[in-house]
Amino acid sequence: MLTAIVVSIVTFLVLQVLPGDPARLMLGTEATPEVYARVRHELALDQPPLGRYLNWFWGFLRGEWGNSWRYSMPVRGLALQAFPLSFSLGLSAVGLSLLVAIPSGIFMAIKPASLLARALSVATQVSFGLPQFWVGLLLIQVFAVELRLLPAGGNASPLGLLLPTLTLALPRSAILGRFMRAGMAEAMQQDYVRTARAKGLAGGVVIYKHALRNGVLSVFTIAGLQFAQLLAGTIVIEQVFGLPGVGQLLLAGVFQRDLPLVQALVMVIVLFILLFDLLFDLGLGLLDPRIRYE
Amino acid sequence: MYKKASFAVLIVATIILVGSGCVFGQVLNIAIPQDPDSFDPVKTVAAATGEIAFNIYEGLVKATPLGEVEGALASHWTVDETGTIYTFYLRHALFHDGTKVQEEDVAFSLNRARDPEVAVRASELDMIEDVNVVDEGIEIRLSEPNGAFIYSLSEVYASIVPAHAGDLSRKPVGTGPYYLDEWTPNQQLALRRFDHHWSGETPYFEEANFLLIPDENSMVLNLKAGRVDLIPRLEVGVLHQVERDPDIEVLSVPMNLVQVFSINNARAPFDDLRVRKALALGVNRPEILIGAAWGLGTMLDSALSPAMAGFYNDSLAEVNPYDPAKAKELLKDAGQENLKLTLTLPANYPLHVQTGELVAEQWKALGIEVDLQIVEWGTWLERVYTQRDYDVSVIGLAGRLDPHAILVRYTTDSSRNFFNFSNERYDALIDLGIKTVGRERREVYLEAQAILAEELPGIFIMDPPQLAAMKKGIQGFKNYPTYVVDVASLYR
Repeated sequence: MLTAIVVSIVTFLVLQVLPGDPARLMLGTEATPEVYARVRHELALDQPPLGRYLNWFWGFLRGEWGNSWRYSMPVRGLALQAFPLSFSLGLSAVGLSLLVAIPSGIFMAIKPASLLARALSVATQVSFGLPQFWVGLLLIQVFAVELRLLPAGGNASPLGLLLPTLTLALPRSAILGRFMRAGMAEAMQQDYVRTARAKGLAGGVVIYKHALRNGVLSVFTIAGLQFAQLLAGTIVIEQVFGLPGVGQLLLAGVFQRDLPLVQALVMVIVLFILLFDLLFDLGLGLLDPRIRYE
Repeated sequence: MYKKASFAVLIVATIILVGSGCVFGQVLNIAIPQDPDSFDPVKTVAAATGEIAFNIYEGLVKATPLGEVEGALASHWTVDETGTIYTFYLRHALFHDGTKVQEEDVAFSLNRARDPEVAVRASELDMIEDVNVVDEGIEIRLSEPNGAFIYSLSEVYASIVPAHAGDLSRKPVGTGPYYLDEWTPNQQLALRRFDHHWSGETPYFEEANFLLIPDENSMVLNLKAGRVDLIPRLEVGVLHQVERDPDIEVLSVPMNLVQVFSINNARAPFDDLRVRKALALGVNRPEILIGAAWGLGTMLDSALSPAMAGFYNDSLAEVNPYDPAKAKELLKDAGQENLKLTLTLPANYPLHVQTGELVAEQWKALGIEVDLQIVEWGTWLERVYTQRDYDVSVIGLAGRLDPHAILVRYTTDSSRNFFNFSNERYDALIDLGIKTVGRERREVYLEAQAILAEELPGIFIMDPPQLAAMKKGIQGFKNYPTYVVDVASLYR
């Protein structure tokens, strides 16, 4: 909880310190000084910062998140629209990454010298190095412009999320694949694996029952972090695919110094991440009986 | 056999349904880079809103593609011999909610638009003394004759809204050929045809969707993939991606935007005309046009764009020609051979940033040390526009229908005069211009433009090209001297 409060204070301070005046940004270049003063008053910008922060905080606790200055609509409605999209995008991207990374990582670990393993290794390096916006544009060019199979953007149909998911999954599966390989390779050298082999268990059982369970731990930890990061939105991908996710909303909010919007979004993200951390730790405990919480 | 027949019927039915869909529910998809701010006509300031609001709202009069005004909700109007009393007569017209437009709605809307407690740009209507409903018409009294008045009635802020309207910011109610059906921020705005428009005309497209695509490369790909039919403002940097595409047509029209290097006239050494003149003579405009606008812009020698044909001074081309030798001489005269300056550029406008970078190179050739500072929009507004704490900057000043609205910002007392420019004769001319009507008014503005070219509050560069990219087959695109997309004129 303390984390959340600290984050909210930091966000508030950052928006204070940034040059740029919300009232001026709202009014653009044509307003007179009188109008400017009136709008500053309406936004309570003429109040001392401490009072404004406490007001906001009290409102947030009571569920009164106020109106966005940029969109002149309730912040809550905007958040309710953006988070589900970022959530499902994050979930599908990380899910897909895991689906690709786990088998390829295992394969690279147990047959490191094979041609396929080498090819996979090169592929992960390449896909990790490609800039995401470029991959996104390339996928649109191929699947939407040339083949006309998928929509070029938007989330009007679930199919629209396929290309952004692919774009996001590509570098993430590369990272996860590397962790999977390292984790597996390490596990394969452990004593218990040798013991299992020595007592005559079949190769498949050793790999999937003994080594995998240990090797996959680090992969899930990283995947969890990746998901948390995607929840906060992916500005570049959202811009390329024209998706109304958290990233774009946050960006528009920061550009406009839209305090109510930015504060609320940041808080929701932080609370999500804290909650997620908790669930995740509990989940890891299930997977690894050695982890215990006092 | 029976099965086969029913299958065939099904196929035929499907074809008919799909085919008829193409005839009836015509949909136009338009790509825009950012959301509007608010659809309350007296609160909006974003050009992105005006572009869409043009289709939703109407005033007593409206702009034509030629930059004149014609009756919209007013069928006609009269002016008394003093030039201060206008009487407008309404057409039979309906609001989107089905109620009839009454004289009281007009009075309500205009009084709201000039009320500084609600309206952001109330000062633009401060020539109005009084709005009254008289028999069969609306009488507007001005404090003195005003040449800009009739044009200001065509602006978004003077739109006519119902007196019973609630909050318009999200749910606009107007009289235009389209109404806003749904607005999902960062995603799309769906406009639908209003079938009871006073003109009795039915626009071709039943739906117009403004899709938000912030990335300009992605915008182009969406056009190629067929998700988008029209990009009204294509970034010039991606033009080469569509130029040779046989399925896409690109129109290049003037934007009526004055791109200007603003100079802080109050700060030494820029308070010295010789220094400003040297900077102006050191700018090679043809090179900028090629380098930053692919050769498509219109070179400017004046604070007005040639798009303002009625008032543009076309005799200023020789006032500030490219002359680096003379520029160096002037710097020497002024004792500024080792001039250092900071050039502040707004990061959100790639065209201005590129222009700034090119000119920085040209000035360096004169021996000037140029420190480039690229800042985000909020910072630019605060530092350059509000605090006027800068040396030189680049910005585009949006064109209007009436020259007064553009030229008044160079007067000494204007809150928008971030040039810190001050010239007595100029102030007097602008004062005179607003009160003058007819041919003499033009003469006043010609002289005012000449003063700006001589005295250099800033260096005028170009009217950038507006590139409208559309799918082959989209017809009827109308170019306005204002920032709008006229959906009702488009057809396929």
